[in-house]
Amino acid sequence: MLLRLPHGLHYPITVTSLLKQPGDSVERDEALFWYAYQTTVTEGDGLGNKYEVKRNFPTKFESSVDGEIVQWKIGKGDVIEEPIDIVEIDEPCAHEVQFGGLCAECGKDMTESTYNTEVDDSTRAPIQMMHDNTALTVSREEANRVEEDAKRRLLSSRKLSLVVDLDQTIIHATVDPTVGEWMQDKDNPNYQALSDVRAFQLVDDGPGMRGCWYYVKLRPGLEDFLENIAELFELHIYTMGTRAYAQHIAGIIDPDRKLFGDRILSRDESGSLTAKNLQRLFPVDTKMVVIIDDRGDVWRWIPNLVKVSPYDFFVGIGDINSSFLPKKQELKATNKAAVKEAKEKEAREKKPGEPRANGAAPKAEGGEVSALEQLVSMGGGSNPRLLQEQSDAQEETIMHQVEDRPLLQKQKELEAEEDVAESSDSTSSMDESQDSLKHRHHLLEDVDSELFQLQDRLEQVHARFFEEYDKRRSRIGGRVAALRGEKTRSKEKDIDLKVVPDVGDIMPQIKRRILGRVVLVFSGVLPLGTDTQNADISLWAKSFGAVISHKINLRTTHLVAGRNRTAKVREATRYPNIKIVTTQWLLDSLTQWKRLDEEPYLLPVHPDDREEPISPGSKEVAESSWLSSSDEVWTGDEDDDSTDDMFKAAGLNETSPIGYDEEQQTAVHEELKEFLGSDDESESDTDVSLVTDEITVPSRKRKREGAEGEEMNPESDEGEDTDMQGSRLSQRIKRSYERSTGLREVATASGASTAEATQTPLQADEGDNNEEGAGEPDQEGTSGDPPYTYPEEEDDELEREMLAAFEDGDYDSKAEEDIAAENG
Amino acid sequence: MFFLKEETKVITLHPSYFGPNVREYLITRLNEEEEGRCTGDHFVICVMDMVDVGEGRVLPGSGQAEYTIKYRAIIWKPFRGETVDAIVTSVKPTGIFTLSGPLSVFIARKNVPSDIKWEPNTVPPQYTDHGDQVIEKGTSLRLKILGVKPDVAAINAIGTIKEDFLG
Repeated sequence: MLLRLPHGLHYPITVTSLLKQPGDSVERDEALFWYAYQTTVTEGDGLGNKYEVKRNFPTKFESSVDGEIVQWKIGKGDVIEEPIDIVEIDEPCAHEVQFGGLCAECGKDMTESTYNTEVDDSTRAPIQMMHDNTALTVSREEANRVEEDAKRRLLSSRKLSLVVDLDQTIIHATVDPTVGEWMQDKDNPNYQALSDVRAFQLVDDGPGMRGCWYYVKLRPGLEDFLENIAELFELHIYTMGTRAYAQHIAGIIDPDRKLFGDRILSRDESGSLTAKNLQRLFPVDTKMVVIIDDRGDVWRWIPNLVKVSPYDFFVGIGDINSSFLPKKQELKATNKAAVKEAKEKEAREKKPGEPRANGAAPKAEGGEVSALEQLVSMGGGSNPRLLQEQSDAQEETIMHQVEDRPLLQKQKELEAEEDVAESSDSTSSMDESQDSLKHRHHLLEDVDSELFQLQDRLEQVHARFFEEYDKRRSRIGGRVAALRGEKTRSKEKDIDLKVVPDVGDIMPQIKRRILGRVVLVFSGVLPLGTDTQNADISLWAKSFGAVISHKINLRTTHLVAGRNRTAKVREATRYPNIKIVTTQWLLDSLTQWKRLDEEPYLLPVHPDDREEPISPGSKEVAESSWLSSSDEVWTGDEDDDSTDDMFKAAGLNETSPIGYDEEQQTAVHEELKEFLGSDDESESDTDVSLVTDEITVPSRKRKREGAEGEEMNPESDEGEDTDMQGSRLSQRIKRSYERSTGLREVATASGASTAEATQTPLQADEGDNNEEGAGEPDQEGTSGDPPYTYPEEEDDELEREMLAAFEDGDYDSKAEEDIAAENG
Repeated sequence: MFFLKEETKVITLHPSYFGPNVREYLITRLNEEEEGRCTGDHFVICVMDMVDVGEGRVLPGSGQAEYTIKYRAIIWKPFRGETVDAIVTSVKPTGIFTLSGPLSVFIARKNVPSDIKWEPNTVPPQYTDHGDQVIEKGTSLRLKILGVKPDVAAINAIGTIKEDFLG
């Protein structure tokens, strides 16, 4: 080990003599060399006066490690200005493996520190690489060695490592005691499906927790899957469940411990409760590791991940071990506006809580609150929450599940055949399950073929990996063979670690082809306000080479619609090349690693949406593309009657003499478009995209946009969402503060425009809306963006709009004062 | 090494236990709480007998009684250099995890005789010299403790089997 001078010395220092020669052994805290340094000290002269004096002090430097001196890097008389390496000491033990604060090789205490300790010895072995033990840490070198050995072994047996997640990937577990009852009851409609559910009891060590039963359903085909895949992969378990849980599950899926051995990593050893980290298991490199998991976010979408569709057997239970994980982004084929992104635990717990609200009535009338159920709920009620802080949520989830018995509730609901439509506030996944199962009369069904497909995919990855490996090896092997003859070949076979390709490179290669050249636009899939680029589904799709676009344009190839009759669906009908598909198409394509035929997934477009409505505005412009875009706006989710009038006004306005000249119009509309585009996202319940295609019909664009801009008003006037208006108002206020030059311009002709603004309430409203769009260029203009010129006409228009907005009276009075001040 | 140690413990008792069986109850409480406990320094193996059960004193305010008990117990304090028998709990490329009674001992690969090699291809994996010596899960080992580190409620130790008469 190279000793380095610490930072804390009084540099510069002068080495006066070396006390040890190479070959000498030193002990810790033994002096290595003498040096002198100069510093300023305060001295008294004996008369009470104090002076600052510079003095030289000799000191010795002490070794911080044991060992034998190999080589000095400094010599007598050297003046050292800054920390440098001084001496190389060969240590008898580098403390590369440490166990619980002890060096595993020499037994020394690694945590002890003295005045002389520069670096804590325990930091010399920072890596935990054991699956089941956190006390053992190793150094990077040691980890490297171990991993290299493992890689050699895997390569020689032509295997890769596969990290397997448990919950919802290969199994589905629940603690709902209903399952146990159903399993006993042969008459239960779910009996058949539950026949192969395994149960085990975990006695949690928390006081008062008598242990609860876990019911585990294996994913169909699991046994064969593991059997086959184990020939190609070395399997590891990485779960967010506790160690005991993981052990039990492993005991169920792999009773002989042949597949997983003891390569099980659980929450207890993971080191993080919110994310899974491949480095925890493979600290050095992850080239040969493939992951299967139902959640991509916990892995931060690393390229080694094969995301599988979650296995949801016990409907509505979800992942019982995911309390610590960030809230999953709900995404169901029939999802409406999708579940709000609630990251709080409360929100998470609402899910098990909701069935209670729904099922309360049938429960009461059934009156079958069994003694056991009461007992269990009592047990759950007294459930201690004083364990660890973090496990609170977990326990609560389990408690809720035990208490609420979501499955029982659902089955009851099912039997009572309640009207599901009213439960619009309940999670849509529930809606779905109820809808689809209503006629079948049993809640649980066992249709899932994910594992079969998964096996194909893993085999594909495996094949590609070794294909690539062989290719690279033969390249090198051929050269070597030419140089050294055939003998070296067999040896080469094992030790080509340098040519090992990276799974993280290979998988994206495979995947990117699948949805390459696909440009997706989502509609009604993601909750408004989510970042379309970074949502789970988008990241997933992107990993397959798809491009997520925000707006529909010529390049768009697919519109993924979560529901019918959204504005984007209507817009997309204008483009013959865009395939309007359901979310299921995307999900299936992603899970099957195939670009599936869109035909079965095509979204039936409502005939109304294709029609060309006749309205006064349209007559004037008479352009189909314009029509459809306007159509999408005002037939949206709004009331048609009232909007019709608005539209008329809009149409009138469109052609009214107040128009801009060509150039300004473009400029303004460009801004307007931009603004509307951003606004679009924050809009809460309609998915209206007002943004249209620039490439196809440039000549019509301005008019169309203009129309759209004005057509915004039906929407906002409808005012379905007060939040929305509030935010608009605040935007408006904000803008009115920001405005400076624009306002001054306005002020010059304010008199003229007041009359105009008061003409009709309709126009006022409309102006109000336009003002938002028009406010934008103002801002831009002042901040020095592309130069806009505002001739008189333009000013008039702007002023009119702004004043109309002010007429609304819902702006800040302070803004008024500002304006007044500006007006002088 | 095992010791017979005299210790004292204070037990507070709820009034509902006051009665003729209070002494028995105290003994069970003591046994439950003390036996198998790890102080971080030693393990309490067994409570031998009670030397003295002090007078119960009722605590003002709560009504609970406080008994100071003097007892003798067999304790085990592992020392460096001590030779113990242990059972292998798992084997890893880096070493062997063993349990010697309550004490977990880790044997690093360097402290395993050099002829006994890590063999990952068997199921379960093992250390073996490809002869009659096989170390796998469940094997009994005699090892020498190289170092002991007390923790809050556990003791970790490092062991070696790379000496004569060990293994």
